[in-house]
Amino acid sequence: MTMTESQPVNTKFTVSDSDSSATASGSAYHVPPPATSRLNGGTANTKTRSIQAIANTVLTDNRAGKLADGSDSASNKSQVSYVGYTFYKTLLAVMFFFYGMFRYCQLQYNRCKLKIFDILNSPSNTPQLIRQDVVKLAKIPSRLAAILEMKPVGDVGGGLHGLLNDASEVVCWTISAGVKHLTLYDHDGAMQRNIDQFRNEVYEHLSMYYGPDNVPNYAVKIPHYNQVFYNRKDSPVPTDKHTKVAIEVSILSNRDGRQTIVDLTRTMAELCSAGDLEVGDITVDLVDSELKQLVGPEPDLLLYFGPALDLQGFPPWHIRLTEFFWEEDNNQVTYSVFIRGLKQYAGCKVNVGK
Amino acid sequence: MMLARASRFLEDPLCGGFQYAYSFVSNTLIFSLGLVQVLYNSLLPKSTKVWLHTFLQNLLITIIKTGPIPEHVSFIMDGNRRFAKFNNLPLQRGHEAGGFTLLTLVYICKKMGVKCVSAYAFSIENFNRPKEEVETLMTLFNEKLAEFARKAGDLKDPMYGSRLKVVGDRRLLSPETRLRLEEVEELTKEGADFTFYVCFPYTSRNDIQHAIYKESRNYKTKKTQLSNITQESLGKGMYLDEFSNKCDILIRTSGHKRLSDFMLWQCHENTTIEFVSTLWPDFTFIQMFLIFFRWSFFTTLQEYNTKDVSFFDKVSAELNILEKRKNITLESLPDPPISVSVLGN
Repeated sequence: MTMTESQPVNTKFTVSDSDSSATASGSAYHVPPPATSRLNGGTANTKTRSIQAIANTVLTDNRAGKLADGSDSASNKSQVSYVGYTFYKTLLAVMFFFYGMFRYCQLQYNRCKLKIFDILNSPSNTPQLIRQDVVKLAKIPSRLAAILEMKPVGDVGGGLHGLLNDASEVVCWTISAGVKHLTLYDHDGAMQRNIDQFRNEVYEHLSMYYGPDNVPNYAVKIPHYNQVFYNRKDSPVPTDKHTKVAIEVSILSNRDGRQTIVDLTRTMAELCSAGDLEVGDITVDLVDSELKQLVGPEPDLLLYFGPALDLQGFPPWHIRLTEFFWEEDNNQVTYSVFIRGLKQYAGCKVNVGK
Repeated sequence: MMLARASRFLEDPLCGGFQYAYSFVSNTLIFSLGLVQVLYNSLLPKSTKVWLHTFLQNLLITIIKTGPIPEHVSFIMDGNRRFAKFNNLPLQRGHEAGGFTLLTLVYICKKMGVKCVSAYAFSIENFNRPKEEVETLMTLFNEKLAEFARKAGDLKDPMYGSRLKVVGDRRLLSPETRLRLEEVEELTKEGADFTFYVCFPYTSRNDIQHAIYKESRNYKTKKTQLSNITQESLGKGMYLDEFSNKCDILIRTSGHKRLSDFMLWQCHENTTIEFVSTLWPDFTFIQMFLIFFRWSFFTTLQEYNTKDVSFFDKVSAELNILEKRKNITLESLPDPPISVSVLGN
């Protein structure tokens, strides 16, 4: 296994974190896309409530709301009488109802399929088996990213501990697969806030995979605070700055997305007005190199472990050519999703513009 | 570990069996659908079929209009060249077919009440293609623009009252094309019901960089303050104006699961991203309808959960069927029974 070097980056465009209001808006409550919000389950998403919601659509007239914002809707109203409107609305509700039943069957089918895949792909903490799976592939990504989320505390694998457990599993698989860079993203930055626990958890998992005597070295990076940590919390700080590590894990949150681009804009605007930077010099290449310094490089493959693709505010600049992978109706962080994602990546062809 | 090894040994035959069963079911379905289609083709005359098709389409549009409708829909039109290759057509025909599909679908979107449609017509990276193809695309694009402008100005046409905007890095276009674009935009600028953004030549990174550039220039010339540079202001400075901060549905055809530098800023938060494996010219009304229908279904459920008061709450409050829980003081509770200890004191 070849080793990579890891060290803190120095950039001329330092981003100040003084604007606390901006940070707060940066990590605002995340509203998932409609499909994800329903399929994630929870107490608000029961079958009864879904049927209630569908029944409710027949009984409410939402045309009044539509009318307020344009003349287009006004003409709609004159075209369709109230009786006709209600008739079509009922038809829609009936279609919704049947679609809901169909979707439920589909959900069960997909869940079964995923269960079978899980049984077929269970590495049971054995790095050899993971490497054996990966060796068959034509290529692997050089940078991998994964979006993780904290489940409700009451659920199995929920809460902070569940999140850290999932994250460390992903780290172990990535090391065993031979990928050198991993980006872990969670919307609220829970991993960033609990970085010491995260490091210890990764250490424990790695010692399960490789034995306590030869745990691979790893570097954990929080680009937002420009911090780099090595191994677990109480491990000695390496004297040599260029420590060889088997994997470099960057931890990102919503703060690294739009808000970082805004911060960069402010810094650039200040530099421009101070005369240190010409406005004409702001090019895609400059922005790209600065965002690479501030957030990290673009991942090749992005894994999402939820039921329907939801990017959750992953840094927008960094998903230009990134391949996405998620399993429909999946809601667990499992190895089968990971390896199937790598398989998809091995089969894909990238042609920039051509 | 042994179990894992054993399962690996079993993987291929089991998986094969699984896929076989699946393909058997789907093949039977396809066959029966094909049978229906053959009957339909042989029994009905063409005029009736056209009528039936339009009737069904209008019916479905009327039905879906009564539910929630996305505001901003975006298309990545991938697969024109593969379409031409599969059908043994010249490359140009593939692009023409793609253009036709786009205009048809945009028309349907407008009819459904979508406020804005954006389409990825040409990427800045596409300039790397062979010169003839780029030229063909440019000519085709000019033709389509003229067609759209004519339709948007025609009172009888369904596209009447729509605004066309061509967005992207125009410095890369030839002066004649630029002039024509301005003319067309001038012609359609009155339309307010519906906006059609054609991204030509566009990349999302270029879009973001352009917005940063604009904000920096404004700050330098003292037009804006540092605290006024926010996510919203940056979004507004992008090519898609007020639609830059949110896109409801993004559809990418031909099966690739990536964004290819399109709508990065718009799509990374709560957009429903749909990847379809059909090639763009084969993408039909019914496929788009199903995507909208699914979106509408899940949005209905989501809105019901986020809304404060549902109809049922209102009715139960009116009729007082379910009494609401009231807060009471501890003192108002009846006295508990006398407390006696086992120790007898």
